[in-house]
Order: sequence, then structure tokens, then C-alpha cells
Amino acid sequence: MTLPILLIVLVGFGLAASAVAALYWAARNGQLQDFERGAQSIFDEGEPVGVPTDRVFRRRTRKPKSA
Amino acid sequence: MSATVEIPGGIAANRASSGLQVEGEVVQRVVVDRSCRLPVLFFFAAGLAWLLLGSLFGFIASFKMHHPEFLADWSWLTWGRVRVAHLNMVAYGWASQAGIGVGIWLMSRLCRAPLRAPGLTLVAGLFWNLGVTIGVAGILAGHSQSIEWLEFPKYATPLLFVAYALVGIWAVLMFVNRRPGHVYVSQWYLFAAFLWFPWLYGTANVIMQAFPLKGVTYGAVNWWFAHNVLGLWFTPIGLAAAYYMIPKVIGRPVHSYYLSALGFWSLALFYSWNGMHHLIGGPFPIWLITASVVASFMMLIPVLTVAINHHMTMRGHFGRLAESPTLRFTVFGAMIYTLVSLQGVSMAIPAWNKITHFTHYTVGHAHLGMYGFFSMIMFGSMYYIVPRLVGCEWRSPTLIKWHFWLSAYGIILMVLALSVGGFLQGAYLLDPATPFEYVVKSTMLFLQSRSVSGVAIASAHLIFGFHFALMLLRLGRTGGEATTFLSREVRS
Amino acid sequence: MNSLPRLFIGIFVVFLFAWGGLVAMPYLQLGGLQPQVDEDGNQFPPQRDSLAEYGAEVYAANGCMYCHSQQIRPEYAGSDLERGWGARRTVPRDYVNDRPVFLGTMRTGPDLTNIGKRQPSALWHHQHLFAPRAMAGDWSIMPAYRFLYKVQKVKGTPHPDGFTVPGDPSVPEGYEIVPTKEAKALVAYLISLDRSYSLKEAPVD
Repeated sequence: MTLPILLIVLVGFGLAASAVAALYWAARNGQLQDFERGAQSIFDEGEPVGVPTDRVFRRRTRKPKSA
Repeated sequence: MSATVEIPGGIAANRASSGLQVEGEVVQRVVVDRSCRLPVLFFFAAGLAWLLLGSLFGFIASFKMHHPEFLADWSWLTWGRVRVAHLNMVAYGWASQAGIGVGIWLMSRLCRAPLRAPGLTLVAGLFWNLGVTIGVAGILAGHSQSIEWLEFPKYATPLLFVAYALVGIWAVLMFVNRRPGHVYVSQWYLFAAFLWFPWLYGTANVIMQAFPLKGVTYGAVNWWFAHNVLGLWFTPIGLAAAYYMIPKVIGRPVHSYYLSALGFWSLALFYSWNGMHHLIGGPFPIWLITASVVASFMMLIPVLTVAINHHMTMRGHFGRLAESPTLRFTVFGAMIYTLVSLQGVSMAIPAWNKITHFTHYTVGHAHLGMYGFFSMIMFGSMYYIVPRLVGCEWRSPTLIKWHFWLSAYGIILMVLALSVGGFLQGAYLLDPATPFEYVVKSTMLFLQSRSVSGVAIASAHLIFGFHFALMLLRLGRTGGEATTFLSREVRS
Repeated sequence: MNSLPRLFIGIFVVFLFAWGGLVAMPYLQLGGLQPQVDEDGNQFPPQRDSLAEYGAEVYAANGCMYCHSQQIRPEYAGSDLERGWGARRTVPRDYVNDRPVFLGTMRTGPDLTNIGKRQPSALWHHQHLFAPRAMAGDWSIMPAYRFLYKVQKVKGTPHPDGFTVPGDPSVPEGYEIVPTKEAKALVAYLISLDRSYSLKEAPVD
């Protein structure tokens, strides 16, 4: 009964350690720096940032749109 | 300056005659959308058909709970089969296929590459529907295995596995052949979901059918599978859609991409351990149950991460909810995601679980997640995607509004009824002096309310199904604000 | 996060980790469980006979599990014991002969772990399955399983398995209800549901 528990605790520690190591490596290797570009990647020149792309319901009076 | 731009697929755009700047990016997006048309519409249409049938069976099951003599003479309509058929129809027939349709389109868009191997996806779709049809017929015929979420008889499961495996293979193909550039958060979620699900389904079925597995370990495998269908299949697809649709519709990037990464990995790590929280108090080693309870609490990390991210992205733009049906459905779904997940965490607390376990409260929670979160986000994505595939706008904004409000009020009523009723049921069950007769009687009003909500929800689906059929027949509006492409010449 | 192989490995590892903990470890710990055998050679839990095993299939086919649970929770987790649904909580060994296990997640109807002990009469079960409201009361929402039975006119001598349900107006005078093989199997299964024996890890005081 105790062997499976011991095993899983060890595996758990091992995984936690490797997660920390992976995070450290990622930070070191510049994996976490490009987030700004990643978020922008769904926009392009035809559908740029600041322009909504779905306006099916029309408001009764057109208000000046603030991006 | 006059120039004809040749685009793969034979669509030519003449700059001079259209008078518009047709950018390479825009045309590429159109080409990608067009390449998805047949597979995505197939999955949407098939999914909607199952949604309608599944809603009907759901209503029958609900009605039978307060009128047990309703349709009581036929073996294939006995409650224990109708309820099971309902779950499998809406989970594998509707939700999974809507998810695949949305996922295919999203993957193609985000990989910035036309859909590869459409034949593969169509074969997957055919196997999927064949499998679900045979499976549901088997359940009604009395061959249900009574393993929750895995009730399909053994003769149906290989068909489904082939379908899931083909989708997984397709996802890898798309991902490998993507255009270089950033991999967006939705792609992580979709890629993961399309791999996790066949692994999950294959492993669970192999273990249950091929191993000499008996006793409570069966229950452990069952709930490892069933909960992971929610956490590693439906949730990632729903989040992938929300992470794309919300920024795309309002025209603003996700608030914090770093939080997206944190949310993804913490979801992957913790959600997969939750399964045993369905069995608190059950005949299992206490370490197993405790692990799942702890993992359930840890879910606060990915859930709050996603909530913060979406809220901060939407901040200042809630006015857009009045303009965009996609945004309405998606934001509703995203808020419900936060709510249902927090509810789930609370249900894992042993003191609360003592009351709500085995009651209608759990059923309410399940519907809040599968309908309030997942299905509403799917509806939102479908409203965005379909016009871009068929080349015309949705015909009637009024029908869309009716769909939204009937669905929204319907699910709110359902969940309120089942939560209050379930809580009362649980409180009475917990009191050993309360006779069982009284426990059952106390639920009647709430079960009847649930049936009323079912009418609202089924009506919403009829409206959507009709509207969708109009789009398939190209009977939508062609004028109006462009939700699709910029000029007529670009249409094929 | 732009790299396919790394993403793949990460996805696979988290999957494997949870599988290891929730599937592999319980199997290692519990997979070898056997029934407890006493000095007289009696097995606990006892092996079901073939009719009752078939009854478990009928139970599965008709989705009984979706209203009825089969697990007695300990005192700290619920009031199952005080309600009289069992003499003790259920433990993994109780389910060693079951495949699949009908633990259940709903109590629209009562828990059935010990229904065989609470209600050992086969006749009562047949009557209840045929006409739940006539037997339990009008408040019962249990479906009627009339399709598991044949209603036929009594020809000369009544059928040895035939019965009637007093208080059920649907079957006229002179008619009897005869269970099909499925009904007999299901009732045999229900009567086999009895976990009131003691186990070393879960004694009954």
C-alpha cells in the first residue's frame, strides 16, 4: 500500500522539478518574450487591430465609434 | 494601376475594376475560409441535426421524471435508455461535431494555410456519424454498457475511434504544414484537444474491454475518462474559440498572452487529475479521492487566469455586445465558464459534496458546463464562421436574438431549478429522519421547471436549425456590412 | 510555444501523468483484490449465479444505474448508514466480482447496495417493476417495466411464475402477469445485492 504512494510522491516531485526546470529554460531561451507579437498574430492588414469584425445588429442611431 | 492577382484556386481579382486594395493577406484569408467550406459545414449540419434530436430526447427524459407513465410502454423509450441516448447524442453527436467544425476552421485560419486533406476530415465525419447513429440505436435497443459517457455498445466504438484518430492525424498535418509565424494560444488548445481525445477514448476502451479489469478500478477508469472528456476535449475547444472570437470581434488583442500560456499548462496539468471527485465518499483509497479534490481546488489557477484575461480584453468594449451575436454568445459562454468552474471547485469541498452528491444539483452543473459554456460558445463561433463559408449574411437578426434569449433564459432557468431542487433534495437525503417519499416529492416542482426550460431550449434550436438551413441554401442576405470579403470579384 | 515537438511532448507528459495516478496506480493497488474466504470456504462477496449475472446485463441495458447508486458512504461523507441503507460502508473488495461496476452517481431512487437484504421477496420485486406506484406509492417516479412482462389470460391453471399486483387497475380480472427471462434475471440480480457480511477491513459491529 505504501509503495504506490511513495512512487507517486517521487514522480510528483520529479515532475514538479522538471516543470520548474522547463520554466527556467523557457525564460532563459526567450520563449516568454514574444507574447506581444503572439497576441497580435490574429490580426492582419485587412482586419487590423482597432476594427471590429462582426456587426450584425445595427444600433438605431449611429454613434461615433471609439476604437 | 491595373493588375490581376492570381490566387491559388483560380480566383482572380482585378484591382482596377473593384477599386479596392485587395491585400495578399485578405485574399489568403478568403482562400483559407473557402477551403474549409465543405468539411466545416458538414460537421455543423450533422452536429445541428443531433442537437435537435438530442434536445427532443432530453425533453422526453425530463418529462418522464415527473410523468413516469409518459411513453412508458415501449422498451426502447424507457427512461434509462432515453436519458443515456440523450447524453450521447448531445455530447458526441452535437457538441463534439460542432467542436470539430469550429476547430477545423480555427486551425486553418491560425495556420494561415488552406485546409489540407479535406477528404480525411470528411471520412472522419462519416465514420463519426455512422458510429453515433449505430451507438444510439444500440442504446435504445438495450445494449448500453451503463458506463457513464461510454455507453455505446462495443460494435460502435471502433467506428468512433477511427473518426477521432483521423481528426487527430489531420490536426498534426495542419500544424506541421502551417505557415511560419506565431503559434496562437487557440492553436495550442486545439492541437492538444485533437490529440488528447483519441488517446483518451482509445485508452479507456482498450483498458475496459481488453484488460481483466473488475471492481472499483473500473469506476476509476470510467471517471478518469468521463471527466477528461470535459477537461481535455470540450474545455480546450471552447477556450480556443473564445480566445479567438473575443479579440477578433472587438478588434483588440488578448490582454495578456503570458496569462494565456499559464492558463493552458495549468489546465493541462490539473484538470486531468479531477476525475475522482465524482466518487467522493465512494469505495476507493482515500489518497485517490484526495488527489482529485486537491486537483479540483488547483483548477482555480487556470480558471481565474482565463477569467481575468477575457475580462481585461473586453474592458471598455462591452458595448459591442449589442452589435455582435458572436460576441454575445461567446462572452456569455466565457462568463459561464468561470461560474461553472468555480461551482465545480465548490462541489469538491467534502462538506458541500455531502449535500449535493447524488442529486439533481450535479445534473444542473453538467448542463451549465456543456450548454451554458460549451454550446453557447459553439453557437457564437458558428454565427461568425458560417457567413464566411457560404458567402452571405445571416438572413434575420431577429431569429438570432430569439435564439440567444431562449437559450440564455432556458439554461438559466434549468440550472436554477436543478440547483435549488438538488440542494433541497440533498439536504433532505442527509437527514435520516426524512422519508425517501418526501425527498422525491420535494423535487417535483423543480423537475417540472426543468421541462419548461427544455421547451425554451429546444425552441431555440429549432430556430437556429431553420436559420442555418437557410444559409446552406444560400438564402441569406448578400448586402449589409461585410462580414466576409471585400468585393464581389473575389467570390468564386 | 511555437515548437511542435515540445508542445507534443508537454501534452503527452501531462496526459501520462494523470493516467499514471488515476488509472495505473489504483490498478496496481487494487487490481489483485480477491474475495475474502472464511474457514468454511465461503466467499465474500459471493459469486453470483448465471441468472443473476444475466440480470446485471439487464440492469445495464435499462439504465437502472442512472437513478440508483450502489455504494454506502462512511459516516463522515453522508448519512447512508443512518438511513438504514447498509450495515457498514462499502469497500473495494465488495465490488470484486462486478464488471462493470454500477456505483452510480444519482439517487433519484434509493441506493440498492443492500436491496437484496432489505427486500428479499422476488414477488415484491416483480410487482414493483411491473407497477411501481401500486407498490411504493403514487409519489414514486420509477418507470414501469411492463415490457419485461407478459400479461395473459389465465388458461386453466395459472402459470407457476404468474402473479398479479393488487392495487394496479391496468390488469383486468382473470389475467396474470408472467415474467420474461429478463425479468427473472433482473430480480435474481437485485436479490443478490447484499453487502451486509463482515470483511476484515470493514467489520459489521
